[in-house]
Formats: sequence, structure tokens, C-alpha cells
Amino acid sequence: MNKVGKDEAGMKTLLMGNEAIARGAVEAGVKVGVGYPGTPSTEVGEVLGDLAGDLGFYFEWSINEKVAIDVASGAALTGARTMVMMKNAGLNVAMDTFATLPYTGVRGGLVIVVADDPGAHYSSTEQDTRPIAQYAEMPCLEPKDQQQAKDMAREAFDLSERMEMPIFLRSVTRLSHASGDVVFGEIEKASREVGWNKHFKLPFRWAVYGPPEGAAGRHGWLKKKYPEFLAESEKSLFNNLQIVPGSPVAIVSSGVATSYVNDALTALKKKGACSILEIGFVYPPPEEKMKKILDAADTILVVEDGNPMLENKLKELASDAGLHKKIIGRGSKAVIPTFNELNPDLVISVVADLLGVEYSFAVVPEETRKKADELTIPRSSALCAGCPHLGSYAGLARVIKKYGKELLIVNGDIGCYEQGGYGVAAQVITPTDNATKKYPVASPYEILDTTYVMGSGIGQAIGERRALGDNASKKVVAVAGDSTFFHACLPALADASLYNADITFLVLDNSWTCMTGHQPSPRSRVNAMGGEVPALDIAAVCRAMGVKFVKVADAYNLEEATEAIDEAISYQGFSVVILTGECVLQVLRREGVVEPKTHVREDVCIGCKQCVAIGCPAVTFDPEKKKAGIDPLLCVDCGLCIQVCPVNAIVTE
Amino acid sequence: MELDVIICGVGGQGSVRASHILAEAAINAGNRARVGETFGAAMRGGKVSSHVRIGDVYGPLVRERSADIIVAQEPLEGMRIGRKYAAPDGVVILNPPPVYPVDVSTGNAVYPPVDEIEETLRGLAGTVAVVNGTTIAREIGNPRSMNIVMLGAAYGTGLITFDRQILLDVIAAAFKPKFKELNEKAFLAGEKAYKDAVS
Ligand SMILES: Cc1ncc(C[n+]2csc(CCOP(=O)(O)OP(=O)(O)O)c2C)c(N)n1
Repeated sequence: MNKVGKDEAGMKTLLMGNEAIARGAVEAGVKVGVGYPGTPSTEVGEVLGDLAGDLGFYFEWSINEKVAIDVASGAALTGARTMVMMKNAGLNVAMDTFATLPYTGVRGGLVIVVADDPGAHYSSTEQDTRPIAQYAEMPCLEPKDQQQAKDMAREAFDLSERMEMPIFLRSVTRLSHASGDVVFGEIEKASREVGWNKHFKLPFRWAVYGPPEGAAGRHGWLKKKYPEFLAESEKSLFNNLQIVPGSPVAIVSSGVATSYVNDALTALKKKGACSILEIGFVYPPPEEKMKKILDAADTILVVEDGNPMLENKLKELASDAGLHKKIIGRGSKAVIPTFNELNPDLVISVVADLLGVEYSFAVVPEETRKKADELTIPRSSALCAGCPHLGSYAGLARVIKKYGKELLIVNGDIGCYEQGGYGVAAQVITPTDNATKKYPVASPYEILDTTYVMGSGIGQAIGERRALGDNASKKVVAVAGDSTFFHACLPALADASLYNADITFLVLDNSWTCMTGHQPSPRSRVNAMGGEVPALDIAAVCRAMGVKFVKVADAYNLEEATEAIDEAISYQGFSVVILTGECVLQVLRREGVVEPKTHVREDVCIGCKQCVAIGCPAVTFDPEKKKAGIDPLLCVDCGLCIQVCPVNAIVTE
Repeated sequence: MELDVIICGVGGQGSVRASHILAEAAINAGNRARVGETFGAAMRGGKVSSHVRIGDVYGPLVRERSADIIVAQEPLEGMRIGRKYAAPDGVVILNPPPVYPVDVSTGNAVYPPVDEIEETLRGLAGTVAVVNGTTIAREIGNPRSMNIVMLGAAYGTGLITFDRQILLDVIAAAFKPKFKELNEKAFLAGEKAYKDAVS
């Protein structure tokens, strides 16, 4: 069994933040777990899925975050302890339910885990979701380290049941994808009553529009609960106030920023030198404690990883009290850059400034620095050797070449294939004016013209088509993966089909949700708990939605893939091509790695680089010899490069 | 014990695994520990670095120019991390075989000469030790144990002050039982290789 599920109170071990959150749910006796994968939140669900069978609860990866939060709230309305997890962007997808749920509250403890990504390591935005919790008027906790993540997740279930309100647990990459020592607590074994009561404590409790007062009345009910939330925050042990009498400065921090502050005070040997307020219960924040900090100090530094939410609250409290204090952070008097994630260097420098102490680190001699910069070439991210997307993109690249300027736009989407829009970092691009242009596609990493968020590619293709009009010589394409297809493409698919938008939609079906670490997709025939499920049929879904042109082609058969894409693009009307080929890492995992046989006959190779253009990391090129090569450590014998070699220089015997 | 270590390389080399092993061992030896992982998506071949902090630590990230040990499983990544994090009196342990990025194979960049990387790192850190973990692991008969060889080399610095057996126990528990002996060999070979490299 996964160590996170061990019934060993007092055990101390290294846990990743996400594992710690899952442990908190296990200790609270979670009954239903649900989510949609998204870095950096995924491991919360992976661990729960892993443990569900052993510990006797249910876990599913839902089709998307909106479904996940609906499944979660349904479970919680019956009284079941429920955890739902998603990444920052996932909350946007779940927003409709999320913003409405506080109007009724819940019966069983419901913990909504959202992992933000300051620094946008894995995300399309740096959005701070704490203000979104505030906007929904839902209590929000933010842990400073892995131990607190576990403790908060555990405590959040009790809090949720006490207040009959979902609890928002905000994490960030540096918490979720960082590890620390955690001491396990008891696993609660009490079985809670699960059932149904339509008039639970209030008439028509679970009908937002219901009598007596409808939604506005329920909003009033929620407003009346605020003092209750605030009282919980005031007495919460997750808020830690230390007043140092006589110190003119203070530091207020929340979440992982608190850990950076503690590191800074330790390194500067200034622990206990100024008043501090660590806030873990961030919405509503503990106003009385904040007022005490305002009374204690003249200058207050607020450190938070995201928007100046607590900073602005502090300013509001100061203004209400008629206090003139210097409150600095990331807001109007920014001493910390207003974007990108916090880091220990930034924090130690502002803390040192606040305390008036010297801090500097050893400067590298100019010449060494220059040399080091020169040697540090980029390592662009690339698709894996033998990835089926390489085949799909090689086919698409051939079609783009054939149509030239006519094939104007290829809309991307989110998944491993989004790398088709990353470019190659070492390449220098000069932006041009607004003239219509089609750029050459030298590698699959340049094939996509847009990448936004999950499911947006196909909808944007429809919009581009409508704007370009019925100009048949301007082709518009969109791509999406199988997980993304079911997650957010279905409504746009219906739109394109119903109104017969003349676009081509390529579904890159590798049977898994790969980018987030190979969770099952509706194509995988397995669920998150390891059970067998049927695969959903993408072609049948398209046909049922009325799509007239639907083709399935093998992503590893270049000729077949190229032909199918070509035919779809020349078709007048909405066309769909499903390019299939299972993720090669999953195949290797199942079938084991074998010595590859593919190699280049150097005497035959003419150095044309067509194999290099596939963008496979296993294909190398020696610029001196002007010969291609195959890296045997990476090659998986997928055969794509063999198919593009015009002189049969690449062979497998 | 107070120690900041960064283990870097490319996806698939086991940097994150090695960093978790080190941190878990540190905890078992009675320390507090943090690990901060920085890596891309699930794809192979991306740059990976993992910060391990042991002692009176709170956050997961090492400050600039304060890594006591940098374990570079790949030279370009060693350069990338070394230029920012190597402490002036710190140690860099370098596994020399390059893993070429697509930027090189597509002809957009030239892979920097490994001896120049080594030379430049000498200007940044107190000690640079070249330990060919890839070759040593292959000789031992398990190429995948390169990360364990490099962990052994890190132990060879003497900066990790708890008992070697604590690490070996965590390593044994982290892999299938059949790898126990090979991994132990790999660790000890790494430790010896470090000592040879700096003597
Ligand atoms: C709203 C939202 N939820 C989750 C994610 C995280 N995420 C990134 S790509 C992806 C899906 C990838 O699966 P698929 O479309 O099948 O493509 P693959 O990576 O397998 O090629 C997910 C879930 C996200 N970016 N946005």
C-alpha cells in the first residue's frame, strides 16, 4: 500500500505537498475523492486513486473540473466527506458551480483543493485563486509547508462540517511539488451517516432558486455566516501572531511565503527581531490579529505569493482605523515585483531591507559570468522519441507544405502536442507587422499558430472561419488530444457540426492523459482505481453529433495519416480526422524497453535532414560529417524516420 | 547538520528520485528536510533540478550561490544550475556524458565543449569533481543506477554527516529487492570515484 495510507500515527516521513494533502483527507476519513488532473495538483488525486481500493472509498478522475465539482458537491450534499482537486485553470472551468455552492453550503465536509502556479511553470496564467475564494465568499486556507498542508486538509473537513460550507485549500507549485517531513496523525474511522434530506436545517436547502427567498435571500444567509467564518479564522491555530514589543517593523505573510520569510530571518540571524503574523486562514483573514500588527509597528511588509490580497485588507483596516502606516509588498507601494513567483532571494532581500541589515551574496567575476552564460544553451522541451504526435505532425507538415499559404491557421490546444507551438528556444524570431503571412514549418515545434487553454482551439477555428468568410482558399485547422476532446471540445464540436463550419479538426488520440503524467483518459479502458472500464469511441461521438466527414488514421503510418488529413482539408464543410497511436511511454512501461535496431547507413545518407525535421529527440545530426544518426538510448524503433528518408538510408536490420 | 544540495539533469536520469532518497535519509537521521522539484511535464528529456535542504530549513528552494553540493548528472544542466547556485566554497560533481537538446539536433545551437563547462565551473565553485557515473553504472551492470553512483559521490564529499547505512537502507527500500546489491555497489563506487577525483 502507498505509504500515505499507512495507519501509523506518529510516523515521520518525507511527503510531497500533494501527498500530504491526500494524507489529510485519509486521516479525515474521506469517502469520495474526485478531480481532473492538472499540474501541480495531480498527485493529490493519484494518491487517493491508489488508496481508494485499500481503504474502501471512491475516487474518480472526472471528465473535466466542472463535472468533478458537481460530483463532489453531490457527494457532500448527502453528508459524505469529499475532496475535489484541480489546478488553477481547472477552477475557471468549475466556476459556475463553485460560485453558487456557498449559497446553499454543504452537509458533509467538502474540501476544494486548487493548486496555483505562480511563475506559470505548467500553466497558461499565474492567476491567484485566493481572491476567487473571496469572490465566492468561501473560507480559504493556505498552508506554509507540507506538515501544515496535511494538518489543514485534515482540519478543513471538520471546519467544513461546523460551518456547513465548502473549504477552499489553496496550494502553489512550491508547496504541492515540494516535499518535507510530515508526522502522521490518526486515521478517523467513525462512519458518518450518508443520506438525503431535502429540507436539511433550512427549507429547500439544496435548491438555489427555492423558496422562501430565492438566490438573493440565500446570498443574505451567506453574508450572515461571515461572522462565523471570521470567528473561526480569529481562533485558528493556522494564524500565528508574535508581537515583539518595541520593534517598529513587522512582517505579515501567508502560505509558502511564510516559509521564505522564516528562511530569511534564519539566514540573517534575526529570528524574533520583529513582529510577525503568519496567516494560514487567508479568507476571511484574522482581522483582530491584523489590527494588533497595525498597532505594534509603523512599517509592515506583506509577503504573499500572488495578488496583494492580505496587503490590501491590511490597508483597508488601517484606513478604517485612521492609522497612517507604511504597508509595503506587491501592491501600490510595490517593493516586490508584481508578477512571477516569489523566491528565497527576493524575500531575503526585502526582509533585509526592512530590518536594515546588510545582505549580499558572492558576486561572480564578470568574465566567468559571461562565459557561463555563453555555455548555457537552451534545452527546449521536445516530444518524446517515438511519440505518436510526431507522426501526426509529420503528416500535417506534409499537408501544410502541399497547400502552402492556403492552409492558413493551425489552432493548437493543451496536451503534450501543445509543444507544437513552443518553437525552438535557440531560434531567433523577428516579429513582423499585421500582414497576412504563413511561415515555413521547419520542425513540429513550429506547427501550431495558437495555444490558449483546454478546448479553445476548435472554438477559435470556428471564429477564424467565420471571420475569413467562405474563402475556400484559406484553410483552418484545429488539433486536440483525446483527454482534451472529452474535457472541453464537445460543445464546440456540436457548434461546428450544427452550423457546418468549414474547418478540419484533428484529434490526436494517444489513449491517455499524458502531459499530466499518464492518468487514464476515456480511451484508456482503465479507471483511476485500477478497474476496467470500456473505452469511449471518438468517431462514434462525432458521427452521433452529425459530423459527416469522420476518418480514423494511424499516426505511425505517415502515408495514411497524410492522406486522411489532406482529404479532410480539401473537404468543404466540417471534417474530423482521428489520428491514433498509443503514447510510447505507456507502451514501453507495459512491454519493457528493447534494444533499438534502427540505425543510419552513413554511406547512403545524403544529409538532407528530412529525418531531423520530424523533431524526434532520437534523431541526431553531425554537422561536420553532414550525416544523420540515431541515439540508441532514446530510439524506440517507431519507424517514422525510416518513412521520410528519401534514399532509404535509415534501416532496421 | 545544515546542507543545501541541488541534483540536476534531464528527465529520465532519476534526479528527483535521488533527491527524495537523500531527504528521506536525512529525516531518518533525525533532521528536518525539504525538497523543491523543478521539472517540466511528463515528457522525457526535459531539464530537471531538485533542491534538497537539510537542517533548520523552511522553504523548498536554495538561495543563489549557496548550494554546498551540486550533483550534475548532465554537463549542460550542471552549467545551467552551477552558474546560478554554486556556492564559492561549494562542490560540483559532474557526470560528463552529454544529453543533446533538440536545439542542437535541429541545428539551432551547438553543444558547449564539456571541458569548457568544467573549466568555467571551477571559477564558480570551490571544488569540481568529474565522476563518470554513466560509465561506472554501466560497468557495474545497471546503467540506470547512474543516479545512485552520483549520490555515492555526493556522500564522498564528507558533507553528508549521517551514517552511510541510513542512505543505503532508504535506497534499498526505494527499488525492487533484486537491485539491492547492485545499488550498494553503485553507491560505494561513486563514493570512491569522488575521492579519487579530488585526491
Ligand atoms: C482546465 C485545465 N485542466 C487541466 C489542465 C492540465 N492539462 C494539461 S494538458 C492536459 C490533457 C492532456 O491530455 P490529452 O489532451 O489527451 O493530450 P496528451 O497530453 O495525452 O497528448 C491536462 C489535463 C489544464 N491545462 N487546464
